[in-house]
Amino acid sequence: MKIGESVPRSDGWSKVTGKEKYAADYYGPDFLWAGAKRAGIPHGRLLGIDAEGARKCPGVVSVLTHDDVPGPNRQGIVRQDQPVLVDGKIRRCGDAVALVLAHDRQTLKRAVDLVRLDVEPLPGVFDMEAALAADTPLVHEDWPSGNLLRHVAVSKGQGGKGLDLCDAIVEFYFETPRQEHAFLETQAGWAFSDEAGKIVIVASTQTPFRDRLEVAHALSLDANDVRVIAPYLGGAFGGKDGLTVQALLALAVLNSGGRPVKMWWDREESFRAGVKRLPGRMYYRLGARSDGRMTALACRLYFDGGPYAGLAGEIMTMAVEHAGGPYRIPHVQADGFCVYTNNPTGGPFRGFGVPQAAAAMEQAVDLLAEKLRMDPLELRMRNILVPGDRNCIGVAMVHSTSAGECLSALASHPLWKGREAWVRSAGPFKRRGIGVACLSHAMGYPKDVPDRAGAKIELTPVGTVRVYVGVSDMGQGNAATYLQIAGHMLDQDAERLELVLPDTERTLPCGSASASRCTYVYGNALIEAVAALRARILETASLLFPCAAGELALAPGCVLRRTTGETVPLSRISTALSDGRLVECFYQAPVAEEDSGIIYMGPHTIFSYGAHLARVEVDELTGAVEVTDYLAITDAGRIINPRLFEGQIEGAVAQGLGYALTESFAVEEGVILSASLATYTAPTALDVPDVASLAVGAAEETGPFGMKGAGEIAVSGPFPAVANGVAQAIGVRVKAGPLTAERLLLAGIDGTCDPKGPGP
Amino acid sequence: MNVFVPKEMDGLWHILENEPGAAVYAGGTDLLVRLRAGMDVPPALVCLERIGELQGIRDEGDTVFIGACTTHTALLESGLIRDVLPVLHKAVRLLGSPPIRNMGTIGGNICTASPAGDTLPPLYLADGEVEVRSRAGARRMGIDRFILGPGRTALENGEVLSGVRVKKGWGYDVHHFEKVGQRKAMAISIASLAALVKTDASGAVAKIRLSWGSVGPLVVTMPEVEEALTGRPLTIDTLRSVRHLVERNVSPISDIRAGEEYRRRVASNMLLRLAEDGRRP
Amino acid sequence: MKISFTLNGRATIIEADPGRRVIDLLREDLGLTGTKEACGTGECGACTILVDGESRLSCLMLAPQLEGRAITTIEGAAPDGRAASDVQEAFVSHGAVQCGFCTPGMVLAVYDLLKRDRAPGRARIREAISGNLCRCTGYGKIVDAVCAVVAERNRTGGRGQGNDR
Repeated sequence: MKIGESVPRSDGWSKVTGKEKYAADYYGPDFLWAGAKRAGIPHGRLLGIDAEGARKCPGVVSVLTHDDVPGPNRQGIVRQDQPVLVDGKIRRCGDAVALVLAHDRQTLKRAVDLVRLDVEPLPGVFDMEAALAADTPLVHEDWPSGNLLRHVAVSKGQGGKGLDLCDAIVEFYFETPRQEHAFLETQAGWAFSDEAGKIVIVASTQTPFRDRLEVAHALSLDANDVRVIAPYLGGAFGGKDGLTVQALLALAVLNSGGRPVKMWWDREESFRAGVKRLPGRMYYRLGARSDGRMTALACRLYFDGGPYAGLAGEIMTMAVEHAGGPYRIPHVQADGFCVYTNNPTGGPFRGFGVPQAAAAMEQAVDLLAEKLRMDPLELRMRNILVPGDRNCIGVAMVHSTSAGECLSALASHPLWKGREAWVRSAGPFKRRGIGVACLSHAMGYPKDVPDRAGAKIELTPVGTVRVYVGVSDMGQGNAATYLQIAGHMLDQDAERLELVLPDTERTLPCGSASASRCTYVYGNALIEAVAALRARILETASLLFPCAAGELALAPGCVLRRTTGETVPLSRISTALSDGRLVECFYQAPVAEEDSGIIYMGPHTIFSYGAHLARVEVDELTGAVEVTDYLAITDAGRIINPRLFEGQIEGAVAQGLGYALTESFAVEEGVILSASLATYTAPTALDVPDVASLAVGAAEETGPFGMKGAGEIAVSGPFPAVANGVAQAIGVRVKAGPLTAERLLLAGIDGTCDPKGPGP
Repeated sequence: MNVFVPKEMDGLWHILENEPGAAVYAGGTDLLVRLRAGMDVPPALVCLERIGELQGIRDEGDTVFIGACTTHTALLESGLIRDVLPVLHKAVRLLGSPPIRNMGTIGGNICTASPAGDTLPPLYLADGEVEVRSRAGARRMGIDRFILGPGRTALENGEVLSGVRVKKGWGYDVHHFEKVGQRKAMAISIASLAALVKTDASGAVAKIRLSWGSVGPLVVTMPEVEEALTGRPLTIDTLRSVRHLVERNVSPISDIRAGEEYRRRVASNMLLRLAEDGRRP
Repeated sequence: MKISFTLNGRATIIEADPGRRVIDLLREDLGLTGTKEACGTGECGACTILVDGESRLSCLMLAPQLEGRAITTIEGAAPDGRAASDVQEAFVSHGAVQCGFCTPGMVLAVYDLLKRDRAPGRARIREAISGNLCRCTGYGKIVDAVCAVVAERNRTGGRGQGNDR
């Protein structure tokens, strides 16, 4: 198990044989199903709940309402503005108004349908810009800035005035759509009360430790009386960052007469009640001097957060931080507005605001290149950040910054070099284009939020190494990576390594599984813990033999005295160590030197970088886009496990392609029209090309074995790369995504074109 | 709810007589989805998948008889169908996905009578004639008379579709099917075109039959367009010249998948794909 | 009603409501949670099982349809005496498993393919798994895994070791 090797992941076997148990797989004797009755209208006053019909259903145990919620009945991460069960105002269709407990799933469904809500509908707020106008209905009457959840402004150099220094300016507007995570395992959990009266919640969650605090606050419980366990998640991508089923399950357990309770949202409920990627509207003005030096950027970004704060303001902020991409631009004015509406709630989704900004910025860069009559790759290379440069919000790049290497690698790749011949050889009724995009993505939490993890490691009595991981594995393979690190440092093989998945009772707090931070932050804590354990093991062994420490080496299951070949089993070392066989270490990530005042919550300091290329072919007759080849080059420092890394890049690209092309999330007046996988079409295996993935760049000195997080960055490339390719192919840029065949055909491909002739 | 799985037609008739309102299914890929959505609430279900008489593909000389419970996969794997009616093979290849094709049947596709049913445009071109059976006997009618509208057929109580008879397509040298969807698999058609063309020695159209799916409540055929193209070379210019006729003869709707204007334009655009000078090798 | 069928090679008799979905029967009544539900409408393929060797969607099947059939779930996907088939091993060694929730259905979809086609190329493989949604991998490594299995099987001339007959 060496660092740098594509060690097969440790959870592969249990998953491929169907043995791995997800939160959705928990059942037991005599348990209850819990399900929510949801509002069904986007804005209104709750006047009454008639649960009589539901309660009378045979098999229904109870129907709970806000009257049954102890405590403040408010949940939320930054601002607790969301009810567990509605007690006054309904603010979105997916609001939970009542909770039904029943003996089986069919009865549950029937009973939920029988709950009647008496509601006074209120005029709703559905447009993110109109929501800011005076006299618009307010989503939260008590919020001091009306429907503006948060405004973030960043200014650098002369700000917008810098445009006066430019020889060429482009103006660009782009609207990005909502996106549905469509993880395969929908929101699910299993909860019960243990012998000590503690509420135990097994949930598909990215945030077990924070969940505990949020649930305890919402229901006025002692956090010590709530235990949260996070098995492997069947996908999450940000959609399980925060409460989904947890508070409702806790409430159910308080009322289940001692029975365990299961909650598992079906796909339709997951669509209606789960968070979505925030849609955005980006207004850009980007200028450069005639020699191609980018000089000024002025942009306004609007984000629709839906009715609850969640992390919406933070997502908008991240977009603002990345509004100018990985370029050196001396004068920047970037304003972000996150708005309350009665639309489906916006929440974290891989990329966390960067895909929206990149979709706009990278198209603006291409437009600028066109205006300057420069090759789009050339323009990017001329302005790309190098170590020491200040980024668009004024933060110096003091950590590894191999963005330029990404671009160089792209420039020398056959897909780029052969582009002209490829474009020319389009078949009948096909138009081809190449699009590139260059990306940066901040790793970890912003400066003001301590980015910390606690690693715990134990040499068990039988001589195995047990790693206690408090950060969820949602499929990205961080758990397997931790074992690879431990195995590498302790020279143990897979059979001798064990994992304890997140459990607020057994593992240490590690922060959320998000922000591309998992391997970096926990990994660094783990390295320290493993190093300490290794030292203790060798010290103990040297006493046991006895011999000099220099003679010793670790080997699978034992310590080897190299000079004599004698071994002492690790089980013996474990006994000898006694309590010392357990090591705990905390690690906190470095922060930027610059002042937190630059941007809300302070800036980031470590970034991954990427350069993407999409070969696109547009069909003149139907408008359909096919991406025939895709190249993703990433600077993620040193790669610990190449196959896991590639998996992250390829998966993120696929999600980005869906975002760009096939995933149309339709909402009208707060009501989701595409609430099933039949109408919301995520890419199938026939819709995604083979993705070529390369890793380049210098080691990140502060990272575990030189790595830095890159789980998210690749999701931001496809939208602009494809849009740029389409623009080259058909000479058309649309103002909104996704780039469906309909949008492109109606935007102006002339289907009657002679296939051998020039375009429109 | 009672679910019956008869093994023979006699058993089926008995059930249909004693369970009024029972809903009939074979693969269940349409009906069971509707049940889940609460769109249908039948008192009982009858699954036809075990009735041998309703399966199988029979070579009848000039025609081929396809049992109603023939799965799409069985159609795809039939050398006979691939040989005599490639246009149907091509359409079924694009329908749903492999497990859906393992379960779904041609009879189900016909009886669901969705305007977007992918087997329908080819069946119209093959002069599909459905056979409907009841305890009393059998009757036949053209598929264009059997399908009455979206979700509606001429099936009466006590009847089941037992199969469809198609004319072999040997008289044509072009068997073409194209469908437009939101993605490349598991996609309900937004618009589709099926075409059979015979060209003569000079490359002119000797015979042509066209049918469109998802651009009207029923499959759309256009004798007017076929006539306009007959005797003319199969080129982009020729096909372009009839586009206005195509757009005039479709009546698409706007729904969550696509708008009416797009469907209209793409219905006529797809015709160009038949062009000799535009066709992919 | 009583239903008798073969489940993962074993003769099985169970009592079930006729209207019970096969997926619920497998997961809840028989405790076989390897088969996953991710949509309930046949759109995602996570519930794929083999019925007489053919891939089908258990969320769209009702209990009486099991009668007399040979059913294979992921729990029975390994050949007798082995922990895993060559397909399953290839999935693990090629990085075709991330969150793993689509994996059981995906493996069985591959079995269906390999039963019909001994030497599928990449495009054919993609078509064969086009009814199984994966949100994590982008499908590339799943295709790689199947290609490796095909290459190995054709090299050794064997029929492979899976229950994909």
